[in-house]
Amino acid sequence: MSRVIGIDLGTTNSCVAILENGQPAVIPNSGGYKTTPSTFAITQDGKRLVGHLAKRQAVTNSTGTVYAAKRLIGRRFDSPEVARSVELSPFDIVEGPNEDARIEIGGKTFTCPEVSAFILREMRRVAEEYLGEPVQEAVITVPAYFNDAQRQCTKDAGKIAGLEVLRIINEPTSAAMAYSLNRTEDEKVAIYDLGGGTFDISILEMSDGVIEVLATAGNTFLGGEDFDRRIVSHLVDAFQASDGFDLTSDAMALQRLKDAAEKAKCDLSQRETVEVNLPFIASDDDGPRHLSAELTRATLEGLVNDIVEGTLKTVDQCIQDAGVSVDGIDQVILVGGQSRMPRVQQAVAEYFGKRPHKGVNPDEVVAIGAAIQGEALVSEDENLLLLDVTPLSLGIATFGGHFAKLIERNTTVPVCKSHTFTTTRENQSAVKIRVLQGESDIAQENDLLGEFVLGGIRPARKGEPEIEVSFDIDANGIVSVAARDTATGKEQSITVNATGTLSDDEIQQIIEEQELFEVALKE
Amino acid sequence: MRMKIEPDQDRERVLRLAADCEPTSLRLSPTEGYLLSRIDGQLTWDALRKMGALPADAVDACIAEWLKESIIEFADGADGEKRKPSGAPANEQKAETKTTSQSDTTDGKKQSVEATRVISSGAIEDLPEIDESLDLSVEQQQEFLDFAKGLGRPYHEILGTPMDAEARAIKKAYFQLSKRFHPDRYFRRNTGAFSDLIEVCFKRLLEAYELLSDPVTRAQVQKAQPVEDTKAKAGTKKPLSAAAARRRLRERVGQFSGHKRQLQDQKRKAKSFFESGMTSFREERWLEAAGSVRLAIAFDPDNTAYRESFGDVQRRAHEERSAVLLKQANGAFEMRHLSEAYELFNDAVHYRPFDAELAHRTATLAWTVGEDLKRAKELARQAVDLEPESAEFHGTLGQIFVEAEMIANARREFEAVLRIDPKDKDAKAALRRL
Repeated sequence: MSRVIGIDLGTTNSCVAILENGQPAVIPNSGGYKTTPSTFAITQDGKRLVGHLAKRQAVTNSTGTVYAAKRLIGRRFDSPEVARSVELSPFDIVEGPNEDARIEIGGKTFTCPEVSAFILREMRRVAEEYLGEPVQEAVITVPAYFNDAQRQCTKDAGKIAGLEVLRIINEPTSAAMAYSLNRTEDEKVAIYDLGGGTFDISILEMSDGVIEVLATAGNTFLGGEDFDRRIVSHLVDAFQASDGFDLTSDAMALQRLKDAAEKAKCDLSQRETVEVNLPFIASDDDGPRHLSAELTRATLEGLVNDIVEGTLKTVDQCIQDAGVSVDGIDQVILVGGQSRMPRVQQAVAEYFGKRPHKGVNPDEVVAIGAAIQGEALVSEDENLLLLDVTPLSLGIATFGGHFAKLIERNTTVPVCKSHTFTTTRENQSAVKIRVLQGESDIAQENDLLGEFVLGGIRPARKGEPEIEVSFDIDANGIVSVAARDTATGKEQSITVNATGTLSDDEIQQIIEEQELFEVALKE
Repeated sequence: MRMKIEPDQDRERVLRLAADCEPTSLRLSPTEGYLLSRIDGQLTWDALRKMGALPADAVDACIAEWLKESIIEFADGADGEKRKPSGAPANEQKAETKTTSQSDTTDGKKQSVEATRVISSGAIEDLPEIDESLDLSVEQQQEFLDFAKGLGRPYHEILGTPMDAEARAIKKAYFQLSKRFHPDRYFRRNTGAFSDLIEVCFKRLLEAYELLSDPVTRAQVQKAQPVEDTKAKAGTKKPLSAAAARRRLRERVGQFSGHKRQLQDQKRKAKSFFESGMTSFREERWLEAAGSVRLAIAFDPDNTAYRESFGDVQRRAHEERSAVLLKQANGAFEMRHLSEAYELFNDAVHYRPFDAELAHRTATLAWTVGEDLKRAKELARQAVDLEPESAEFHGTLGQIFVEAEMIANARREFEAVLRIDPKDKDAKAALRRL
């Protein structure tokens, strides 16, 4: 039987792991690195590059290089998140035919699942080279706050990359699985996951090999990239003040600044001061201009303090959702590259009143957890079970545009819940059931997953008929909704198919296109 | 056999009353009654439409409804049921305006508990047979069957914990049982008919854990369950609820007769509004007609004839309304009252969604006068969609995209302009700037 790999498909970096004889192993890529940049590029002469190769040429090819595609995946083009990316990204983002956001580089338009698939294919290749055998199955992680469409798009990306995705699991949950391996104590743990593009906090309880998710909260649009951006605008402002140059309109200068900012940020986790030197950043009649600035840890902390404080508010909410007290948390685990920053570690330690756990590598732990879950599923090992939860609430729209939640977020799956509803008008003969996903009490602000009509209700006064609506989520996360008129026994139901932004036909077409391209490369 | 129903072909067919139909037993308006009286086994559907007593849409709606209810049938064959004309008011259409509402929320939790029980116990009515070919040992299969048989037991018995168990013990029991009953444990194994059973067991287990681990629901459950458990006490509960039921029934009957009078009253009002609406319609006072029919629908929302005729009335009313608006808008524009003109054009677009020229003109105003880029984009796109071969419309949309800093989209529009008119200087210049 072929092996199941675990892939942490990150905003900035991705990582792949497997379980060998019960012990996790992170697989290094051909360059010897354990993480690979989630970067994809098309060079001026039409070559496609992924990972380190793509990242290295970004400075000279900023409009042909895609990074942070994860921020766009599964989102509608008109969403505020996409609008923000359009503003910040050097590559073109256009609206696709399905109202999705697509990426235009090298004269070709790519869907977001397609771009993610390039990264996943690379991770699969890394694993295959290491194992010396083909790999077909994977567990992929996503931020806890990804909605159905974003999860489905990630699944589609796996499919395009030639992988059967056994499960999509949440990054913090995955980290907890990795932590729980070889531990026997009953514990409540908090996973603080600050990655390149997303922030998640989860509270989990583990006992005797069973892991239960108590609560999850987060922000899919906050992460290390925002730290970089703050540094970039700080440097741009300083340069404007000293040399009177506006660097924001120069794509190449911005890309150099972005790289330098990321490097400075990482260095400042070890050192108190760094020099940022970018010679020949601009030029005018007087000749070339050079950017040279000193950045201290204190300056950086001042620039990003509000972001760090903001994450703690989310932590607060999550702890309340979990129904535990801060003292009741036995371990705090930091995940994600950005959690290396001393200011972040200090803020978390102060909040929980204890030092974070040091035993896991924040860059690798998520991929390891995914590999463990993959192994737990396919092996007959009885010692590890994840009681996973549904990330967002499910319910129906009710009179006056309200949202009645039937399954609250963080409910363990598989699950079945029902509630009785009634009519709002005299002699109403039919009710429309609109199935929604989201957290807002206003129906319109949530995502519509599907709708159907239950007709043939006997004429009666408003409020008298009893319509029983039941929601069912099966072990594979498939949602079905049924409505039954208790008087007549008449029933209507639908199965809600999670839909990404691509149809099956489109996925097939992309797979075929990519196969053609592979052949072309080898010639 | 024809697969697709062609309304036009059905309209060529002759209609007759169904053999067992008793026209006097139906509740019909005079106009509907008139229509029914003309269905005589001689006239075709189309001929009925052309009689003119009712708008054609209303005739279609009535006939479709009656065919569905087997009041009438096609004279040339008994397949009226199968060949529902496409003009039939589908259930969905009727339901569109209706919504559900949450019932009394105070006892919502309890309702949901009871309802789930129905489902759980309903799902295990037919237990699977033990099957040695499955990837489950016979012992495991027996274990599942035994557990499934006990799903109707009180929650604490399902978990195997005492009534007064501590939260810690409940969680522990749930974790241990999860290890045996969680479907992930049997991922990809051939569990045949047991796969559903395992899932039902786990869901019930989860329900027990959720209800017993929350002190509030636990108190409710324990108050409800002893009655159910001890069969001896069941007798005392029944007469009480029966008496309550009778009382409730009496109340309902009382309400109902009052309600019925009210309903008849409303129907009468609706009918008179509809009739005056039809009079205005014949006299071509469309706005008045639409107002009257709207009132008729408000008083008798379930009358399909009113609803169906409303479409036609409204269309004409929209034409009249938009003509007035356009006249005012053009007047305001000539007087250079631009923002007033913009508001009026914007209203007119609503009534003339098919008018590309109008959408384009309003888009320009939305951009320049209204400073509403979003609306401008919407309208310009509407114009382009309506007339994809207009270079002018593409150009406007492109400029709006530039203004909105959606550069890639703008470029696409200017390229469309050049495809239609390769000599367009503005588009060339715009592309160069981009």
